[in-house]
Amino acid sequence: MAKKTYDLLFKLLLIGDSGVGKTCVLFRFSDDAFNTTFISTIGIDFKIKTVELQGKKIKLQIWDTAGQERFHTITTSYYRGAMGIMLVYDITNAKSFENISKWLRNIDEHANEDVERMLLGNKCDMEDKRVVPKAKGEQIAREHGIRFFETSAKANINIEKAFLTLAEDILRKTPVKEPNSENVDISSGGGVTGWKSKCCS
Amino acid sequence: MSESRLLGLVASAEEHAIFIYTHRRMAITADDVSLEDIIPISLDFAVVEGKQQSDGRYEAGTPLITYKDNELELKLPFGSHSRLFLSEVNKAWSGRFFLMCSVYPPIKHLKGSIRKWRTCKHSNIFWKILGLCEMKQCHIIIDNITYETLLHEQHRASMVTPFRRSALLPGRSCNQQLYNASMDFLQSRPCEMFLSRSVLTLASLLPLPLVCASSREDRDDLVRSSSHTASNKAQILTMPQFGLRDNLIKCELLKNEDLYTYLESFSFFLGTYNVNGQTPKESLRPWLSCTLHPPDIYCVGFQELDLSKEAFFFNDTPKEQEWTKAVSEALHPDAKYALVKLVRLVGIMLIFYVKKEHAEFISDVEAENVGTGIMGRMGNKGAVSIRFRFHNSDICVVNSHLAAHIDEYERRNQDFKDICSRLQFRQLDITQPPLTIMKHNVVLWIGDLNYRISDLDVDSVKELISKKDFEALHSFDQLKRQIDEEAVFVGFEEGPINFQPTYKYDTGSDKWDTSEKCRVPAWCDRILWKGKNIKQQHYQSHMALKTSDHKPVSSLMVIGIKRVNSEAYKKTFEEIVRTIDKMENECIPSVTLSRREFYFKDVKFMQHHAETLRLFNDGQVPCQFEFIQKPNETTYCKPWLTANPPKGFIAQGGSVDIDLEVFVNRSTAPDLNCGKQQIEDILVLHLERGKDYFISVTGNYLPSCFGTSIQSLCQLREPIRDMPQSVLVTDLTVADTETAEKPLDIPKELWMMVDHLFRNAVKQEDIFQQPGLRSEFAEIRDCLDTGMPDSLPGSNHSVAEALLLFLDALPEPVVPFSFYPQCLECCSSASQCETVISLLPQCHKNVFNYLAAFLCELLKNSASNRLDVTILATIFASLLLRSPKKQVLAEKRKTQEFFQHFLATGSS
Repeated sequence: MAKKTYDLLFKLLLIGDSGVGKTCVLFRFSDDAFNTTFISTIGIDFKIKTVELQGKKIKLQIWDTAGQERFHTITTSYYRGAMGIMLVYDITNAKSFENISKWLRNIDEHANEDVERMLLGNKCDMEDKRVVPKAKGEQIAREHGIRFFETSAKANINIEKAFLTLAEDILRKTPVKEPNSENVDISSGGGVTGWKSKCCS
Repeated sequence: MSESRLLGLVASAEEHAIFIYTHRRMAITADDVSLEDIIPISLDFAVVEGKQQSDGRYEAGTPLITYKDNELELKLPFGSHSRLFLSEVNKAWSGRFFLMCSVYPPIKHLKGSIRKWRTCKHSNIFWKILGLCEMKQCHIIIDNITYETLLHEQHRASMVTPFRRSALLPGRSCNQQLYNASMDFLQSRPCEMFLSRSVLTLASLLPLPLVCASSREDRDDLVRSSSHTASNKAQILTMPQFGLRDNLIKCELLKNEDLYTYLESFSFFLGTYNVNGQTPKESLRPWLSCTLHPPDIYCVGFQELDLSKEAFFFNDTPKEQEWTKAVSEALHPDAKYALVKLVRLVGIMLIFYVKKEHAEFISDVEAENVGTGIMGRMGNKGAVSIRFRFHNSDICVVNSHLAAHIDEYERRNQDFKDICSRLQFRQLDITQPPLTIMKHNVVLWIGDLNYRISDLDVDSVKELISKKDFEALHSFDQLKRQIDEEAVFVGFEEGPINFQPTYKYDTGSDKWDTSEKCRVPAWCDRILWKGKNIKQQHYQSHMALKTSDHKPVSSLMVIGIKRVNSEAYKKTFEEIVRTIDKMENECIPSVTLSRREFYFKDVKFMQHHAETLRLFNDGQVPCQFEFIQKPNETTYCKPWLTANPPKGFIAQGGSVDIDLEVFVNRSTAPDLNCGKQQIEDILVLHLERGKDYFISVTGNYLPSCFGTSIQSLCQLREPIRDMPQSVLVTDLTVADTETAEKPLDIPKELWMMVDHLFRNAVKQEDIFQQPGLRSEFAEIRDCLDTGMPDSLPGSNHSVAEALLLFLDALPEPVVPFSFYPQCLECCSSASQCETVISLLPQCHKNVFNYLAAFLCELLKNSASNRLDVTILATIFASLLLRSPKKQVLAEKRKTQEFFQHFLATGSS
């Protein structure tokens, strides 16, 4: 058979309060770029990036969600189908950190049971404005048994590492199939997640 | 009758059929072909491979197809195409047989579609094929001409224009483009097509007796269900089943091969020996081990390995093993070799060895053969060939034995051409077209090519040989002359010949042919090559070997083989993947919205508000948009809101205006009036295969007496809009409390309207019969909701209509829903009707009696206002007595009868 250019498709989701830098984290990872102007994401956006892990080519489809409070009921419906969720807070914004437990509850309620979670404390380049100590992030991550990174989309710190680690964790849980048929069939779930498919069927 | 046709094997999920197309000239465009007939592959279908000839043998390549009572004889062109086609047909048939045996309900699709298709023009064919096919997986094997057909077909179907751009992208092979185009065309309608060219002998082409008219609907449904959406490369890119992504990457890798490969030289030993049917009698070392260093690769060819009839007819000979053993024993002693592949056609054999340490770099080894002998296809003449990949280079070695006899050089040229066109290697990836000899990076051609020395008598030839003037002799060589004329071996090279002719000797000696024929010596046995970075180290004959009437020839080639630098390869690959990821990201459908927030100010009952949302397609592809439902909601927006249009298509760079309209009617007003609902909604605009956008719709609603309950209005002594929202929410829904004031007998708004009419309109002609003005209604509504004026604005007719609207908008009608069945039951009895009314809640009873009294006053003036009991009963019964469900006609009459009692008593 022809060698496929990717073996697996992983769907990842970025959530967290408005303004913590979810879009920037994604933009840094997908385009290796950073934009200082803040444009609030009002809706759901996605980008793809192919990475190689343990000899497997993995296509990551990363969904970026609106963080604003008023959209929460809508955005939770996009959790379903995500294999990995990155929960982002801003180390210079205490409120965004306090809301972490609320976001974690949201994941419990709306995401797949086996979803791989990860906590990111973003904007770690702004040490002078830090209000959330790294230890607090580590502690809450430990309490929930999830990985934690402090990142900076602006200074490109830990962004790629975070995504690759999350993908690796998902890969570890993915059952290894026959070498000839290890291409997952993504035709059924390629484009849309959430309730769109439900309401169209 | 014998005519040329195109054949296609078309598969639906379970069914197969052969589609027969007529075509004018070579079918290049869609206009050139049209569907002529369809042969379903059902149980009565059979293929007999070849017809029986007079000598009892079956002729290959002319299968006979029988179905129902018809026969079709196909003359398929010789070659792997046809073989592949027939094997697919057989597979299809056996699959069908299996299905039938397992009592699978037969599917009517194919049969039902036949009649229509028999006459339809080509423009519809493919869509109809698609209509047949059920989704699962896409799998296509088509030959080049058909690719082209599909491509043109696709361009005619103007829905898929975006593809054209990508089809013209530079740097991709033509086949690739066509392949992609056909993939694009087939989009999400997977079907399995397999087409082959053929010449049909139409023994009989009768209308198929399978057509049944009843299944026409089936077909139409199928055709309809083949609806398609505009496609584009981005979409295809994300559909793994079409492999466009893979193909793009493969193409890019090929294009950038120089970036990650470097050349390394390897030595190839090529040998050819016509052994004249002999068995090995002497060591082959003088021939095969003549090099100082052991070569990396050996390709050793033999001709006339076995001249027996058994070998000819059964292709079986003990000599294969004998000679292979002799070769193995004679390979260079300083290295170990692995036998990779052996291929033989009757007496033509090719053996391929590789030095052990290189074996792991050999892949994709395939062997094929082509017979060009008796009747143009038997194996006494022809070629065998082995192709393989060595590191990153594709190499093809051909060993051929071409037609004999001095005068037959044109036949030899023809044999060469036949071999080149007919010899095809089936690719591992069966979606790829078969590989021909000439598509390889390196072609090494050895064999008894049988070209002779002509225009020179035997003595002159021998004299030149004795003088070792091979250059002069070479100018009389037919092969050299034919190559110079570009009649054969175009693009091939041959090294200078510095050895005497290798044919024909008396067996066991170095003496020229002494038989009666006394043949002219000739360089029958030759070695040629085609490709870059090839150097010939030696080219010689080996006189020491005396087993045959030919002498063996050998050549050592040093060939630059492309090796992969894995670091550079990884980098190149990653770069390509990055570029394609970028392309895919850029091709995600995207729009800009003129606004994301909409505020509707001062929304009032029955007042239309609209705002425009403009969508501009700023993406690189056309897009389809649709407002979609939010979780746990049944519609995409609240009932007081509509988006028009709610879905649509925007071309690249185009825009669409969407009207967001707010309209509060009697069904949505009650909840808004009492504050249970707000003007607040979020619309989700979804782009097919793309982003979702959230659009906020907010506003403030001005509560109105219209759509507010009688009970609530009776509590309000002030105009409704003067009440703070919080009061409305609590007080209007909660019943009397001790601290509250005594409620009004009837809503003051109702009183104002009725009193106005009583004072001004009792004699008004056609009152309640003529419509009012909408603008005047708005004034009346605002007047009632904001103050308590002495008289209302607007004409009598407008006030009358406002009254009707007021009654219509009451969440609970004047006769509450719970009393409705009772009213219907007792409608014939006046006294019982009155009893029912007496049981109504106080304020409802008041309103009812008040209205009845007013209407009776109107009837007193019927001479002027031209009203009568029937008219008023018809108008008011339906407002005062509303059914909680949909009202049927009989109920309507009963409600009128009920209400008439009150009008009659009043008038008497």
